[in-house]
Amino acid sequence: MATLRERVITALSPYVGATVADTCVRGTALSIGKTADELTDADLPALESNVRRLLSPVAPSGVIDDLLAQIERGN
Amino acid sequence: MAAPTTTAQKNSVITPATYISAGVLIGLTALYGFLSTQMYADALSDTAYAMSYWFGTLLQVLFAVVIIAVALRIGLSQGVGKQWLLVGLGVAAFAIGDIIWTVLELHMGLDPYPSLADPFYVLQYVFFIAAMALAIRSYSHLTPVRAPLITAGVVGLILGGVVYALLLGPHIFPAGTAELGFWGLVVSTLYPLGDVFFMLAPALALALVIRQLGAGRLGWPWWVVIIGALIYALTDAGYSFADWSGSGLTATLEMGWAAANLTFALAALVARDVYRIR
Repeated sequence: MATLRERVITALSPYVGATVADTCVRGTALSIGKTADELTDADLPALESNVRRLLSPVAPSGVIDDLLAQIERGN
Repeated sequence: MAAPTTTAQKNSVITPATYISAGVLIGLTALYGFLSTQMYADALSDTAYAMSYWFGTLLQVLFAVVIIAVALRIGLSQGVGKQWLLVGLGVAAFAIGDIIWTVLELHMGLDPYPSLADPFYVLQYVFFIAAMALAIRSYSHLTPVRAPLITAGVVGLILGGVVYALLLGPHIFPAGTAELGFWGLVVSTLYPLGDVFFMLAPALALALVIRQLGAGRLGWPWWVVIIGALIYALTDAGYSFADWSGSGLTATLEMGWAAANLTFALAALVARDVYRIR
């Protein structure tokens, strides 16, 4: 099973590139006092909220919903 | 055996519909390119000339309709929807300017420069820079935007200096209001400077921002917009320089605006696919 960090990067990279996707994960982790590798499924709500905040100006909400569902499913 | 095909179709970002629509728009623009060469060669009858003239003008309307339709489909409640609406309104303003220009020149036999068409042409700059500002700001939480803005500002100032050295200083300012009239001087100054400060510099800033996305597909449509802005600015600059230096206007130069607005329309089609839910 891929880690949450890997799932987020896999989902976001096609849209924002690997570097920015990684920044999203690290930013979320930092905001809850963890490192990116320490993120678990329990942190999904915080991660989703952060991803939605970062992506909503650059992508339609439908695309963001789809990406978040992909992250939750892990594919 | 069907699985790989299905996966390939699912993963294909740009849809067949976009390829077909883009092909039609490019074909229509190419046809206008051919007609434009015939118009410049004086090889058309009066009726064919008038029809070709209107064909080119209505082509701009079509480009605007395509972009605005995409913006409406994305949704104006979405940030990106507003950005594309502004791009579309810019092309629509240009199209209105072209309609006025066509009526004045073709049907009323008037010199349309300067005229009521010019405020609409200038409006394209206003809408374009607003779209670029929104697009750049939208990425400010994802990537650094300050360095791109400063770099683009510096490049803009340098290019502004080039415009002054090659065009404004030697040609336009010496002609002044005596030769151009007040509004003629205003628009003759505004166009080349607008190309630099309202088209090229913002497009460069956006390019420097979205290059940080790497191959990320959210940047794709904006890359196409940046190419369109480059074509637009080069056409305007080339047209002004050719006109003032006496090197002569050509059908290729005339085609530049159609090519630029075509490119904006193609960018909108790419955006439609990029923002599609997979």
